[in-house]
Amino acid sequence: MDRLKRQILRQAVDENLSTIEGRRLESSASNVTTSGRPTLLRWALVPILAVVLVVVVWAARPPLESWQQASRKPPQSDPTARLATASHEVDLTDRLLFPVPRPMDMRAFPLEVRRILLDPGHGGDDHGTLGGALAEKTLTLDIAQRLAKLLEKDGLEVEMTRRDDRRISLKERAAQANAWQADLFVSIHINWLATRQVRGIETYYLGPTDDPRLIELARLENRQSGYRLAEMKPLLEEIYTDYLQGQSLQLAQRVQRSLFASLHKVNPQLKNRGVKTAPFVVLVSTEMPAILAEVSCLSNQEEEELLSRPYYRDHIAQALARGIRGYADDIHQIEEKGS
Amino acid sequence: MSGSKEVLNVGIDLGTSRSAVSASNGQQHVIESYVGWPVDMVARKVLKKDILIGDEAVANRAMVDLRRPLERGLIKEGSEKDITAVKEILNHLLKLVGVSKDKKAPTVRAVVGIPAEAMRVNKQHLRNALQGTVDSLMIVSEPFAVAYGLDALLNSLVIDIGAGTTDFCVMRGRLPTEEDQRTLTVAGDSIDELLLKLILQKYPDAQITVYMVRQWKEKHGFVGSAQQPVKVTAPIKGRPTPLDITDAMKTACESIVEPIAETLLDLLPRIEPEFQEQVRNSIILSGGTSQIAGLRKALQDSLEPLGGGAVKSVKNPVFDGADGGLAIALDALDSEWDQLT
Repeated sequence: MDRLKRQILRQAVDENLSTIEGRRLESSASNVTTSGRPTLLRWALVPILAVVLVVVVWAARPPLESWQQASRKPPQSDPTARLATASHEVDLTDRLLFPVPRPMDMRAFPLEVRRILLDPGHGGDDHGTLGGALAEKTLTLDIAQRLAKLLEKDGLEVEMTRRDDRRISLKERAAQANAWQADLFVSIHINWLATRQVRGIETYYLGPTDDPRLIELARLENRQSGYRLAEMKPLLEEIYTDYLQGQSLQLAQRVQRSLFASLHKVNPQLKNRGVKTAPFVVLVSTEMPAILAEVSCLSNQEEEELLSRPYYRDHIAQALARGIRGYADDIHQIEEKGS
Repeated sequence: MSGSKEVLNVGIDLGTSRSAVSASNGQQHVIESYVGWPVDMVARKVLKKDILIGDEAVANRAMVDLRRPLERGLIKEGSEKDITAVKEILNHLLKLVGVSKDKKAPTVRAVVGIPAEAMRVNKQHLRNALQGTVDSLMIVSEPFAVAYGLDALLNSLVIDIGAGTTDFCVMRGRLPTEEDQRTLTVAGDSIDELLLKLILQKYPDAQITVYMVRQWKEKHGFVGSAQQPVKVTAPIKGRPTPLDITDAMKTACESIVEPIAETLLDLLPRIEPEFQEQVRNSIILSGGTSQIAGLRKALQDSLEPLGGGAVKSVKNPVFDGADGGLAIALDALDSEWDQLT
């Protein structure tokens, strides 16, 4: 067997071992509430301290105006580039040595959604895609403004990365969201597809995490913790990434479902291109659940025609609002059940 | 530990529509991925079984609670019955290749290939479901199993068109990560649904089921120009009536071409530029739905905007996934299998 095959096969084995580790943890978790074995205790404390950190950060969040100084994670490539090329492979070796309980679920972090940062894609001399007389930058701003009004009516705090036609780098957009301590980041874009007959919507998030097993563990152990934040931080940074991915997926699914269900009625040829993952810079750099929704296709002539009509843009905004509300409601319901 | 006991390696393709097994003893089998439980005492008495698997379950669907546990490539969450159904399918496949509960039975090492979407979402769920059915178990994504079996691990792209999902997997000389994979829910099932709808639009009184439609698609499905009219027979008000479903068949089968072509055109430019041409010329089409006549050519033609490429169909779409799983099982080291016990 050649070296490449052996190497890949070993990766497949490691991936399976990683899954087994999760199962073993989970199966013994129910017996550990009083035994306090060190390894299991460490597992159990991860979500507790995650909550502690979130609360601390929440209390200390700065005002919006200070966003320029506050980007913790720089983007991984040219800020003007829409796609990052960085790989997001999981370090399986680390995972085996210290099996961080990967999949996170909102039930492990009963938080509230209050602040939404809307990001109308492109702006200024960055027109985005063009279709006839329409420019993506104009459409995204219009839809975002409509969406902001709808969300504000629901009592949510809404900010926008731009409220007029100006260029803002992706780095600045992410930094703004991070500094404002937004609970959700929703980037709005219009797609352009090479096959112009196709019209579709798709929603992106930054990678998956799904394992409901940890949720129960978090529930069991999240009531009391004597741990200091400093003891937890290194661990938390890693797990928080998984948490964000899981939340972003939930949000993306809600938004995509809502967009398709709503728009398909008025645009029957519309294709549901699904929820996808991609390393968009804004999604890499933001520190809250974040999605990028491609809400329409300017490459399609009929779609272009629809986008020129205010009622269709309003329809898109309403669908986005429903998706975001749906996600927020999920969180509230879970919080109520857990309390 | 396996010790000196005889070992049987198996590769299993656990599909939404069909599941196949290839074993190191040379046995190969394929079954419909259906499990049926008799709906009541009468059905149980007639069928003389507590559970029916595969073709037998479909054939007796009027008397059973019929389940296909992997809908749209995903195990339905929270349904114990679906988890049981997955286990039953696996046990049935193992029985077909000669695995028994006998104490002298060989140690079974299984590599189970599952739809990429299930790998992403339900991996833990499936592992728990399958645990205990074999001595050692490895779960991999189906496109990866296909690529491994075909030795196409570097700079190739596998498109596995199954029943529930179409999985894209770029092989870059590493275990595929999220960014290497895409999943569409347009696949065999979506063709069946559309075909059923279109036939009923044309023949509103036709008495047809999705099972009939699926069989027609498998026999007559085509993309492009029809070689000959597609004529089938179905009852209308109880009377067998010939139906011309040529146009409906064409429309339904072609409905998956654009989304797949779109995804290809989206995925390929994201590959490192120096490898794009190589990948474009090493596109492998696998999965049951990939057998639709004319589909390979249509997808190859769709590569024109990128300068063209080559799409090849696997030789044996029914067993390539299971064979790939078997190849993985045979190549894994004893020490690795011991870890996965």
